[in-house]
Amino acid sequence: MLVYGALLADAIVRAPAIAGATAAVGGIGLLFLALVLWRGSQEYLPAAAACLGGVYAVAVVVHGASVDERAPLVAAGLLLCCELAAWSADERTRIAAERPVRRTRAAALAALVGGALAAAAVVVALGAAPAGRGLAWTIAGAAAAVLVVALAVRAARS
Amino acid sequence: MTRLSSPRLAGYAGLAALALVAGLAAGRIELVALATPFALAAVVGASVGREPELEATLALDRERALEGEDVGLTVELSSPTGASRVDVLALLPDALAPARPNPFAVRLAPGETRTIELPLRCDRWGAFAVGPTLVRARDALGFHAWETRLGRSSPLRVYPSVETLHALLPPFETQVYVGNQLSRARGEGIEFADVRPWTPGDRVRRVNWRATARRGELWVNEQHPERNTDVVLFLDTFAEVERDGRSTLDMAVRAATSLAHRYLSRKDRVGVVSFGGFLSWLLPASGTKQLYKIVDSLIQMDVVLSFAAKGVDFLPPRSLPPKALVIALTPLLDARSASAILDLRARGFDLVVVEVSPVPFVDPGKGGEVPELAYRLWRLSRETLRARYERAGVPVVEWVDGVPLNVPLEEVAAFRRYARPVRA
Repeated sequence: MLVYGALLADAIVRAPAIAGATAAVGGIGLLFLALVLWRGSQEYLPAAAACLGGVYAVAVVVHGASVDERAPLVAAGLLLCCELAAWSADERTRIAAERPVRRTRAAALAALVGGALAAAAVVVALGAAPAGRGLAWTIAGAAAAVLVVALAVRAARS
Repeated sequence: MTRLSSPRLAGYAGLAALALVAGLAAGRIELVALATPFALAAVVGASVGREPELEATLALDRERALEGEDVGLTVELSSPTGASRVDVLALLPDALAPARPNPFAVRLAPGETRTIELPLRCDRWGAFAVGPTLVRARDALGFHAWETRLGRSSPLRVYPSVETLHALLPPFETQVYVGNQLSRARGEGIEFADVRPWTPGDRVRRVNWRATARRGELWVNEQHPERNTDVVLFLDTFAEVERDGRSTLDMAVRAATSLAHRYLSRKDRVGVVSFGGFLSWLLPASGTKQLYKIVDSLIQMDVVLSFAAKGVDFLPPRSLPPKALVIALTPLLDARSASAILDLRARGFDLVVVEVSPVPFVDPGKGGEVPELAYRLWRLSRETLRARYERAGVPVVEWVDGVPLNVPLEEVAAFRRYARPVRA
């Protein structure tokens, strides 16, 4: 909740012009997150992430043309927020877990978030680097998007 | 194994796709950066979704225990592939309380074998099946879970604790075999009974010389022989009343166990009749083997709902031998058992009714006149039934939960001390 609140505050500060709408949508996301934590169900987690991600996207677009260097931090923070909420939901069942079990998950989570931060940083760095524009790049981007959508469909079916 | 995937995995992939498309449309690298962690998480989630190999065995340190004792349950887990988290739930009956948390979660390294000791406290008697285990393995981030049942269930018999009985009810008539019960009849024995004139065939050692000298003719001593008795424990299993884990059937089984143990220890023959929805019996016999047979049958007793009319006629004649002392343990809740008991009395059995009182298990009823009136009427109907038994010459004694069994037995003994056995 703290991480989510911090990211929401950052988005509000980034675009004061639309602070009201940002706060409203972020608040809905916060409600979704509270629902996840209250019910111990992860079904509403993507909705919570989508709300904050949408708020951030609008704030970035409204903010201006310059590249936001804090984007990797925001992205990794959002993932961290989701994973912590999912962990909390998993721990709802009263199962006495030994210490190595928790250590393993903490280590895996740290690795995932660290890797995500690094990957997002690389993406931002690559985006800032001068590169060619044109049809090939657009096709490559579209292919990447289609690949992710396919992955999403496969994950949903499994 | 049943595979379960977290809904967030699909959600992450969808979010990543959405952010990527939005980034492409808006031409903002920040949105692509936003998509990257979720895309990475989705890829990691998809790649770790391999089913782990798990094996589990359950073992009890013994198959028999007494109520209140501890039994050790050992759960052995192994996995050739390893598992980041394995949640284990040993399926236990309510009467067995684990001393450490159940379920529990452990981590298994590849090829590692873990042995978890789970001490169980036997809270209540019964025949139980311990296990199998419900096992759920998860990957390190909880994206996937695999659930299955592993291991075989192990049988465990928990015998009820035996109450120390100071005195037992002596029957009016004994059997022909040698035992520890002093017979009312006269014959060969140790305990002096009377003197009578000598008859041909009497041994010289039986001559009472003092009486002979006084009367001027031969008089001999007579003794009470030591005989065994047949005892039939008649359990009414038509209905029970339960509260806070205690029930009338529970009390009846404990009482029957204590009585069987005590009667068998003095060489009597003991049989059991379970008279209820499910009719069962054990023919009277003596010895330790019979004690185990009785206790094994008692711990499997349960109330089976039935509307079938049942009488004593359904029982085989050998289960109720002549001259047997029949001790009926009943809550007097079902009319069928109430009439069966009267039928037994009419057939001339030496009968004692220990009424396992359901009254402490029933709330008097609050919140109005009607519940209170119903409760009083119920109590009155019980009084009427008791009076009916007493008119038929059957001693009825109320046994309330928390009172030692010695108390009602002593009451019956006092009643029988002055009662004359009559044929109904």
